[in-house]
Amino acid sequence: MTTSLADQLRTLPDESLAALLQLRPDLVVPVPADVSALATRAQSRVSVARALDGLDQFTLQMLDAARLTRDPEQGGTATEAILAMATAGPHPPAPTAVRGAVNKLRALFLLYGPEHDLHVVGGVDEVSPYPAGLGRPAAELDPRTAALCADPAKLRRTLLAAPPSARAILDRLAAGPPVGSVPPGALEAPAVGAEDILPPDATNGGAPTGSPIRWLVDNRLLVRVSGGKGGGTVELPREVGLLLRRDSGPLGPLRTSPPLVATPPREPKAVDSAGAGQTMEVVRHTEALLESLAAEPAPMLRSGGVGVRDLRRLARALGQDDALTALLFEVAYAAGLLGELDLTGSATTRYGGDQQVLPTGGYEVWRASSLAQRWEQLARAWLTMTRQVGLVGQRDDRDRPISVLSAEAERAGAPAARRAVLGVLADLEPAAAPTPDEVLELLDWRAPRRSRGRESAHREVLAEAAQLGVTGLGALTSYGRLLLADVTEADERGADDPLGLRSDAESGEPSTAVRALDALLPAPVDHFLVQADLTVVVPGPPDPALAGELEVVAEHESAGGASVHRVTTASIRRALDAGYSAADLHKLFRRRSRTPVPQGLTYLVDDVARKHGGLRVGSAGGYVRSDDEALLTEVLADRRLEPLAFRRLASTVLATPYQVQRMLIALRDAGYAPVPEDASGATVLARPKTRRAPAGVPASTRTFDPLAAPKLALPRLLGVVEQIRRGEAAARAARRAPAVVRGDAVRTGPAPVPGHSDALAVLQQAVRDKALVWVGYVDAHGATASRLLRPVSIGAGYLRAEDERTEMLHTFALHRITAAVRED
Amino acid sequence: MSGGPLIVQSDKTLLLEIDHPDAQACRMAIAPFAELERSPEHVHTYRLTPLGLWNARAAGHDAEGVVDTLIKYSRYPVPHGLLVDVAETMDRYGRLQLANDPAHGLVLRALDRLVLIEVAKSKKLAGMLGDKIDDDTIQVHPSERGRLKQALLKLGWPAEDLAGYVDGEAHPIELAEAGKDGRKPWTLRSYQREAVEAFWAGGSGVVVLPCGAGKTLVGAAAMAEAKATTLILVTNTVAGRQWKRELIARTSLTEDEIGEYSGERKEIRPVTIATYQVLTSRKKGAFTHLDLFGARDWGLVVYDEVHLLPAPIFRFTADLQARRRLGLTATLVREDGREGDVFSLIGPKRYDAPWKDIESQGWIAPAECTEVRVTLTDAERMTYATAEAEERYRMAATARTKLPVVRALVDRHKDDQVLVIGAYIDQLHQLGEYLDAPIVQGSTTNKERERLFDAFRSGELRTLVLSKVGNFSIDLPEAAVAIQVSGTFGSRQEEAQRLGRVLRPKSDGRQAHFYTVVSRDTIDTEYAAHRQRFLAEQGYAYTIVDADDVLGPKLPTVD
Repeated sequence: MTTSLADQLRTLPDESLAALLQLRPDLVVPVPADVSALATRAQSRVSVARALDGLDQFTLQMLDAARLTRDPEQGGTATEAILAMATAGPHPPAPTAVRGAVNKLRALFLLYGPEHDLHVVGGVDEVSPYPAGLGRPAAELDPRTAALCADPAKLRRTLLAAPPSARAILDRLAAGPPVGSVPPGALEAPAVGAEDILPPDATNGGAPTGSPIRWLVDNRLLVRVSGGKGGGTVELPREVGLLLRRDSGPLGPLRTSPPLVATPPREPKAVDSAGAGQTMEVVRHTEALLESLAAEPAPMLRSGGVGVRDLRRLARALGQDDALTALLFEVAYAAGLLGELDLTGSATTRYGGDQQVLPTGGYEVWRASSLAQRWEQLARAWLTMTRQVGLVGQRDDRDRPISVLSAEAERAGAPAARRAVLGVLADLEPAAAPTPDEVLELLDWRAPRRSRGRESAHREVLAEAAQLGVTGLGALTSYGRLLLADVTEADERGADDPLGLRSDAESGEPSTAVRALDALLPAPVDHFLVQADLTVVVPGPPDPALAGELEVVAEHESAGGASVHRVTTASIRRALDAGYSAADLHKLFRRRSRTPVPQGLTYLVDDVARKHGGLRVGSAGGYVRSDDEALLTEVLADRRLEPLAFRRLASTVLATPYQVQRMLIALRDAGYAPVPEDASGATVLARPKTRRAPAGVPASTRTFDPLAAPKLALPRLLGVVEQIRRGEAAARAARRAPAVVRGDAVRTGPAPVPGHSDALAVLQQAVRDKALVWVGYVDAHGATASRLLRPVSIGAGYLRAEDERTEMLHTFALHRITAAVRED
Repeated sequence: MSGGPLIVQSDKTLLLEIDHPDAQACRMAIAPFAELERSPEHVHTYRLTPLGLWNARAAGHDAEGVVDTLIKYSRYPVPHGLLVDVAETMDRYGRLQLANDPAHGLVLRALDRLVLIEVAKSKKLAGMLGDKIDDDTIQVHPSERGRLKQALLKLGWPAEDLAGYVDGEAHPIELAEAGKDGRKPWTLRSYQREAVEAFWAGGSGVVVLPCGAGKTLVGAAAMAEAKATTLILVTNTVAGRQWKRELIARTSLTEDEIGEYSGERKEIRPVTIATYQVLTSRKKGAFTHLDLFGARDWGLVVYDEVHLLPAPIFRFTADLQARRRLGLTATLVREDGREGDVFSLIGPKRYDAPWKDIESQGWIAPAECTEVRVTLTDAERMTYATAEAEERYRMAATARTKLPVVRALVDRHKDDQVLVIGAYIDQLHQLGEYLDAPIVQGSTTNKERERLFDAFRSGELRTLVLSKVGNFSIDLPEAAVAIQVSGTFGSRQEEAQRLGRVLRPKSDGRQAHFYTVVSRDTIDTEYAAHRQRFLAEQGYAYTIVDADDVLGPKLPTVD
């Protein structure tokens, strides 16, 4: 007699039960009421699927073996039976590995019971219907096929007689899954007389075979399991499948350990160096991206996200492809360096409308930190962001392009996928550089159920990791490994430290990853080399002060580990505009340059400085000009005109910041005779104008007496009266609302439930009687309120009722109604 | 982090710090795949181009080696993306091969079938490909070989040309290093030898050497290597005669074996020297002298001053892909930006040496470049300010104020041979009168030119005024001073060629001087700055002085 899982669990000591719960934490959310509830949940489809997801390929195969060796009646199996099946193949795994896998399954309670009588929990068959990719036993499918399978010699003969094209189909189904769909008509017999005109079958030595599937079904090697007259599905019976697998063993090829990486490992230093080079690129490109967004923010689309046109523009500015730009954009956003800003004076208040994406305040902080720290912030954001950037540029279900920052690229599983892929790399020896295919193979072995169908996402992770410099030459870099460990550790710590009290993120200490990367990156330099072709080479990353100076005095030409700038006339002029004097510039070049400053540069600075300011531009309120220089000198010297603050621009022109009119008056007052002139120099004549006020409406045109009482039409008056009456009634009603409904009674009452069911009866009666009812209810904010209503209908959990006061139809959720009282 | 001399930039330029102890080794290592772009005094700039990388592949370097070199010499970490890009670019080379099929003649063969399908569908190749022989092979019309290679290069799938070259009609040519007709023995200089070897190994290509570094000898050595009939294309008749003189002196060739094919004479001999001008002259819209290309079975075609190659010659050259082609130039910068056509039709750059290196080896004279800024008189400034935009450069360049400065410069170099070079005939005539010197210009007959040049060479004539005809291919060994008064706007190669006139090493090893006289605060200054860029990038540092400094110290003393 087998014991149920619940019985098994009951007999467990507390520690074992706790161990199970630790292995399968989803069992305690929410905490089950008793052991039988726990057992039910442990056998449920969802929980079993979760437990299976985390298992590696070999353990899953052992579970399949357990399922295949079950006793048909009792449903029990034994470790020995599993071992026997696992070692039946040509390359038998070590028995210890098999036992290890079985013990793992028992620890998870996917198998339970004593070793000689193991049971598979119920949910497994629901989660994966075909153990080891084998079909159901023939007995379950079709009696005639069962008869064939019962005669091994005949079965073998039939198999050998199969034409090659049919054999190919069998082999494919034998490798699993054992079910295939059949094209419409393939199982139909050809029309009478048409047998001869069948096309020759190249795979069958040229002889026509007709449909190979029909041959297989007719010979009982395949069983048709569903489908109407057209197509359908066929299933390969388990016995046939096992026979076809006799070369590889009943479970297919077995691998007790993960596949080995054939690609030779790289030089660890070369890996770190390539990765570090890439980190410099990433930081530089991100900065360039943010700078161009600061100069011209990207508008948010109404549907969310940033349009492809803006993305292209940014990609062009960066000189990179769209994919990398999208990645940097998303990463910068996730790192908090980019944010949306509502446009001031926007015409619409709709969400997402009229917003722009531009750098946040955090960008300033980011920019001021060291290269390694900047990179770490980006890489951390990438590791943890729930975005799958590879989707950007593809089309969604409705065939619309997916844009940057749009909701369509949101994938909750993205961080886990990144961690899984990088975890594979991290578990290999340092600087091992598997090819993407090998990484996928490893992932497939580690958790086949999890990695299936995510191959493209995993490839994207690898590509992004390379672009971000987390990996170099295909291998995980030393600092990338540290960062990954750090992030994983922080995650694990988060479980028993939910408030992050022990976090060291705030301590200001750079993380180990930053320190490791810092050692790889070039130190900032504070000097440059000036050459005769007026180029300035900074042989390394410039320190911020130097970068600031160069930004003013030279044009940027080439960037990377070092940077090349060119001094041009325009750049010197810009520096002079920014307040540098020629002497300052000479000093700057002398101080910063490790090489003698070429004569050409010195000359260029002097030459531009000489011309700089040769033209002067300013604004004036007015001017006084005269061909008589003496007269102008007199005006300038006149003390009465001092308030006008005249300035002599030339011997014949004075300028003043004051307006012409004021100057005219002052000059005339002082006894001069100025004449105003317009922009073209023509004299402006000023004849005094008579002032007039704007005309009002003459009294004679008014049509009625303003003091007479307004006349009102009768219907209008009646309307006013009705309005007043209703207001009165409402006010009275509000005063009269019964205590039960007003809410205070409800709160003090012993239990709200009877009140609620009473209320329902009252309301139903009121609907029938079309009577007025006082209804007390809880509104969306939790406050109680009451209203006088005439119920119209009750249904689907809602009450529809007319409000007497507002004459509107309202809908109330029934569960919110606390009381109802008939109006009397 | 290694303290290497190389900094790899993300825009695929390589900065080489030449004061670094490993700089020389690094240069040797990167030269096969990176193109020298600028070589000023401290930091040389190389560039990684697809073309350069493909040429390296063609020369047998693989991507792994290139990546290793970059990592080995790089001072800072090299971005992973760049390394991947290098590897991928190099991987594109040779997926297609041009080969001679014994049955079908010239064929395009694919090692990667998908690439062949891709390029066969391209519209750019329409008409160049013939019948499909099998899945991996397509027939090619032999006449389309050049154009096909050019088009494939543009598509990014350069073909490896295994079809080889025709040997041409054999003709014995030897270098006469032992001395001939009583001349002193001589040997090919090391860089000339390297240039010839690089060219011969590659089959076809361009050799870039500074003016005065003996490009003619590279040509002669290539001919001695080919030992076949040779067609030499030169810019003008005078240059052609110089070639002839040099070939007679330095090789086993005799006068009878060398023909001149110019406006004056039409000789076709085992070695024929033709001018671009006569080849591109047309009668009734048809090129009448094209037969020359097919007149003999040439084994080698030499293009002198390849940067001046006129457009029609490009077209003819496309048909000559089976013959070895050697391009010679000092300045492979074309203001029309057709450097790419030169590379794809004549061949990639096979050898390039920084000017300053040759100078330090003593093969060209050290030169001092000076820009003299002349302040225009107020009247001249006023004329300039009101001139039409298209007249402005001429106004500024031909300002009379320049004359006394030129004279002061000529006087300063009393003992040297001085060339005065300009672009505007009126100005040259003024100068000729002012300096009392003869003028060589376009309209001067070849005979008169030869006479004047001979007089100049012999020292009889001390000052010579040259128009644009003096830009190229004039061998005036003892000229030590060149004064440039005006030029063809901002032409960089013209500036370099003019400097080249004074770079022949002097018998007493003295310095050459190159002056360019420009008008201050005018467009002349801007063009001058642009013209100087090439030389500045070659490490020639211009000193800028004011005209007053030139005129100043020489104020006449009052007796």
